[in-house]
Amino acid sequence: MSAGSPSPSQLAADASPPSTGPAPVLPPTPSRAGPTVAAVLLGAVVLVSVAGLDIAWGSLGEIPVRVVTYLELLFSAPNWEKLPRALFETWRSVSMAWLGAIGCVALSIPLGILAARGVGPAWLRTLLRGAFAVIRAVPEVVIALILLTVTGLTPFTGALALGIAGIGTHGKWVYETIESVQEGASEAVRASGGTTAEVARWALWPAAAPALMSFALYRFEINIRTSAVLGLIGAGGIGTMLSNYTNYREWDTVGMLLIVVVVITMLIDLVSGGIRRRIMEGARARGVDRTS
Amino acid sequence: MTPDEHATAAVGAHAPATARSLTLEHVSVTYPGGTRALRDISLSIAPGEMVSVVGLSGSGKSTLIRTINGLVPATSGRVLVGEQVVGGLSGRGLRELRGGIGMIFQGFNLAERTSVLSNVRVGRFAHSPTWRTLLGIASTEDTRIITEALDSVGMLERAWSRAGALSGGQKQRVAIARALAQQPSVMLADEPVASLDPPTAHSVMGDLLRINQERGLTVLVNLHLMDLARQYTTRMIGLRDGELVFDGPAAGATDTDFETIYGRSIQRRDVLGSAS
Amino acid sequence: MTVATCLPAIGGVELELGAITRNWRNGAAKLQQLAQPNLAFFPRTLTPMLETLAMAVVGAVTAAILSIPVTLWAARASNPSALGRQAVRFVVNVVRAVPDLVYATILVAMIGVGTLPGVVTLILFDIGVVVKLVSEAIDSADHPYIEAGRAAGGTQSQINRRTVLPQSWPFFANQWLYSLELNVRISAILGIVGAGGIGRLLDERRAFYTYEDVSLIILEILVVVVLIELLSQQARRRLR
Repeated sequence: MSAGSPSPSQLAADASPPSTGPAPVLPPTPSRAGPTVAAVLLGAVVLVSVAGLDIAWGSLGEIPVRVVTYLELLFSAPNWEKLPRALFETWRSVSMAWLGAIGCVALSIPLGILAARGVGPAWLRTLLRGAFAVIRAVPEVVIALILLTVTGLTPFTGALALGIAGIGTHGKWVYETIESVQEGASEAVRASGGTTAEVARWALWPAAAPALMSFALYRFEINIRTSAVLGLIGAGGIGTMLSNYTNYREWDTVGMLLIVVVVITMLIDLVSGGIRRRIMEGARARGVDRTS
Repeated sequence: MTPDEHATAAVGAHAPATARSLTLEHVSVTYPGGTRALRDISLSIAPGEMVSVVGLSGSGKSTLIRTINGLVPATSGRVLVGEQVVGGLSGRGLRELRGGIGMIFQGFNLAERTSVLSNVRVGRFAHSPTWRTLLGIASTEDTRIITEALDSVGMLERAWSRAGALSGGQKQRVAIARALAQQPSVMLADEPVASLDPPTAHSVMGDLLRINQERGLTVLVNLHLMDLARQYTTRMIGLRDGELVFDGPAAGATDTDFETIYGRSIQRRDVLGSAS
Repeated sequence: MTVATCLPAIGGVELELGAITRNWRNGAAKLQQLAQPNLAFFPRTLTPMLETLAMAVVGAVTAAILSIPVTLWAARASNPSALGRQAVRFVVNVVRAVPDLVYATILVAMIGVGTLPGVVTLILFDIGVVVKLVSEAIDSADHPYIEAGRAAGGTQSQINRRTVLPQSWPFFANQWLYSLELNVRISAILGIVGAGGIGRLLDERRAFYTYEDVSLIILEILVVVVLIELLSQQARRRLR
């Protein structure tokens, strides 16, 4: 040991005194009044909700048996004879989803840019954001129900409803993206003396494009599910076929249709998700990702 | 209470476990990527010793310490804790062994969103049935041990605080309490003070030393600062590129010994400086 | 691809822009009706609206409880077994691939008209959303305390219960609230296929061409959705 440094035992004694006196006790539990009140309120809401559901609780026990019976009807021997027809209808649904996504993106990007801070006037921004919020709150099916008064119940109505219903969320994503890239990217170009157009072309666009592309694909993925739902209310495509065969109680066909829906949806998710990841990774590699 | 009686009472409240020896026989570790972290290490540490493992980062210190509680399995050779061979254990046996070995980390490794008390309860995992942990009911014995552990590091008053709200030194004290709640016979410390400022580092090292002396635990502590190793430990093990290059009394280690361990001349960053 | 989707012959969508101009007069009249909500209809909407809310709450709460073990099963931090993780994730992806109203349609056929198929639909939908998003959030966070738990000799379930779960609680709470918001929107339309709630009334009024009533219902859905969103925003702020 070098001269002057204290011995280990001295150090130990210095560090903190050994406990003295009676056995230590935990400090009292802090008051949890707030969380308790919240939990009781939540419990009350849940109880009232359960009571308001008007479910025959007595027959709940039979349900597992019925579910098993129906699952057997659906999937024990799916009817593959109608597969070509199902694929035809699936393509119609995918078309609906694709056109809806294109329409939605085409409308959302200009509207979203106008709604971004520092682009349009304040009144327009407030108006657009309000409109986005209202559209977000209305279910797609309801929008389709309104639209069909004008266009009738066709796949076109479905695509149109998807296009309009998507604006609510998509417009919001667009202006959030634009705002988040504005801060970083445009300063750089402006500092080097660029015009507004140059800022938009060389700073905003490269920074925002990957995110916007990725959102557009994501919109398509969402639309795949929604287009099937719109089909259920009669807009055509796989949903309509599913709804019809459920009404006919042709369970083996319904089972086949469900398998088709699940496989197609998962495949499209897989491919589209893969492309999205590559777009975003490419963006990060170029160092322009400011949206995440 | 006379001092003697107090000492007996204190020991009674602490550990029923007695210190155990640590033995490594020709231990090598090769990671799946092909990196050889340890090469043929043999050493034996007596019960109650306070030993430092010194080396640069990447020298294999962290791997060495983790072979002892089986967090990193030895690729070849044998690791023994007391009479028990670590390599042959799995499942319940391994968990019981780990239950008897406390460990603290450079990053404290606390669940920061939960209370100090919850974090210290982690130390009782191996000593209480799983259903108790799942239901969140601590036995009175567990509560007594946890309270005592928190008290011995001076953190009892903060038992209900959120772990994330504490300072670095306080977090490491909670981590020590978590290890003490295991009533361990061996204490492992992986760079326990590398994330702390000098005064805090000294007081945490002081805590470790006190634990070693009061409870008679075997303590194995990884350090990269030579003055801390000299000051707080009795024996020093030097690792360089996974090989044992020094084993001897810490106080007697010369600057030349450190140059051998580090593979270069001593620099300012190899020393922490004094507490004041 | 865009062109291909517009060819009706191969199953594409026929762009009936002509229909819009043709039906515009008819549509305009209905839109005018829509612009004048019939407030006198309000009392009749009250019970179905409350039923819709009750379905949303019960669905969200049940799904929240069920989502805890499934999420811990699907996240890397809480389940070291890659095989088990992948199995759970696959099942969840299958569950997510079926659209909400498709569940409702099939379930109504299976267990009869009423709120029960609606609630089950919401539960299935919510579990899909919560498990996917929360398990991804857990995977992208750091969990240094897991090594500490393992070093202390804890079993994975002990580590999950005492550390991973409280640590991931904000992720869960966030998604549970989000699923409640989605539920209100979905449960408003479940009635269209007979799964309870205000959707049934909406569909019925539309079939009778009483668009003033439809308008009132849409307005109510809008208000309720916005209110629930505000409420859940408040809750989020509290939880932070």
